Amino acid sequence: MKRKLMYAGGLALALASPIFAQTPAATTGGTDWKLPMAYLAMGIASGLCGLGQGKLAASACEASARNPGAQAGIRFALIFGLVLIESLALYTLVITYIAKG
Amino acid sequence: MQAETELWSTALFNRFLAAPLDSFLDAVGHPAADPAHPWENWITMEILVVAIILVLFGVLRSRLSVENPGKLQLTFEAMYKFVMSQTDDAVEHGKKYAPFFGALFVFILFMNLIGVIPGFESPTMTVSVPLGLAVVVFLYYHWMGLREQGVGKYLAHFIGPMIALAPLMILIEIISHFARPLSLTVRLFANMFAGEKVTLTFLSLTFLVAPAVFMGLHLFVGFLQAYIFMLLAMIYVGGAVAHEH
Repeated sequence: MKRKLMYAGGLALALASPIFAQTPAATTGGTDWKLPMAYLAMGIASGLCGLGQGKLAASACEASARNPGAQAGIRFALIFGLVLIESLALYTLVITYIAKG
Repeated sequence: MQAETELWSTALFNRFLAAPLDSFLDAVGHPAADPAHPWENWITMEILVVAIILVLFGVLRSRLSVENPGKLQLTFEAMYKFVMSQTDDAVEHGKKYAPFFGALFVFILFMNLIGVIPGFESPTMTVSVPLGLAVVVFLYYHWMGLREQGVGKYLAHFIGPMIALAPLMILIEIISHFARPLSLTVRLFANMFAGEKVTLTFLSLTFLVAPAVFMGLHLFVGFLQAYIFMLLAMIYVGGAVAHEH
């Protein structure tokens, strides 16, 4: 059943192929979506980063409660993981500033 | 991004030393956009940070004492022990690389912290500075890997576990190796830039408590980012010089 659904999904995407026949439209007067999309991207990035960091902090708390002797190592792993996940959200912030011009 | 206002140090450098930098830039092939003001904020702040570090370590050196250590000596002994323990964790036989990591840590830490003082600006807020540091780390760890293992054995790393997968593995390895300085740069730059912008935003909205809280966060993030930069440099060097057992 899952495979049939996958084939159906692929067929639906293929049905959209006439879009490639489109001639490029002249960029006149339409709204400039760069900035709103950049804001949306930043929101999505921050939200997903929050999810990831929340999961990390939760497992760090749990591990620390199970094994209080290992707190030093757990704290190091926690900080390291938080910083790396934070940097992913900050890459999106840089793109926002580039979109702002 | 908006044009930066000129700091006192930049104005000083532009007034007296504009001509040497102009001729240097012309010689290198990148003439300055405005010949009257070739110096920019970040380079003068970097020079200032280097001067401060040199003076600080000069004073420290002159006051070293075995039986009666002062507070400065104790602080830097703690920092030394910290850097050495991290190096031993990350790199085997790592003692010879420790000066590089220590210098990296101290330099980035001072650069991050100097932005908090009014009238000074963190050089790491401009993209050029973290980019330069990341390129230095990139060249350093490849150089150390080549020196430690020889050219043939070091390049054999890129092939991966099986010869059959070699074309794919080489591509993946090259891309990931180039992603490293990119991520180092953007991480340091974005953290410092965002910290300052957030503090200024809150300062424009209110005063006293909220901006101070965010400035405290910016300080903490400055320490953390300097440590993370050093730690990642150690991990890369450790990976480059590791001998398969």
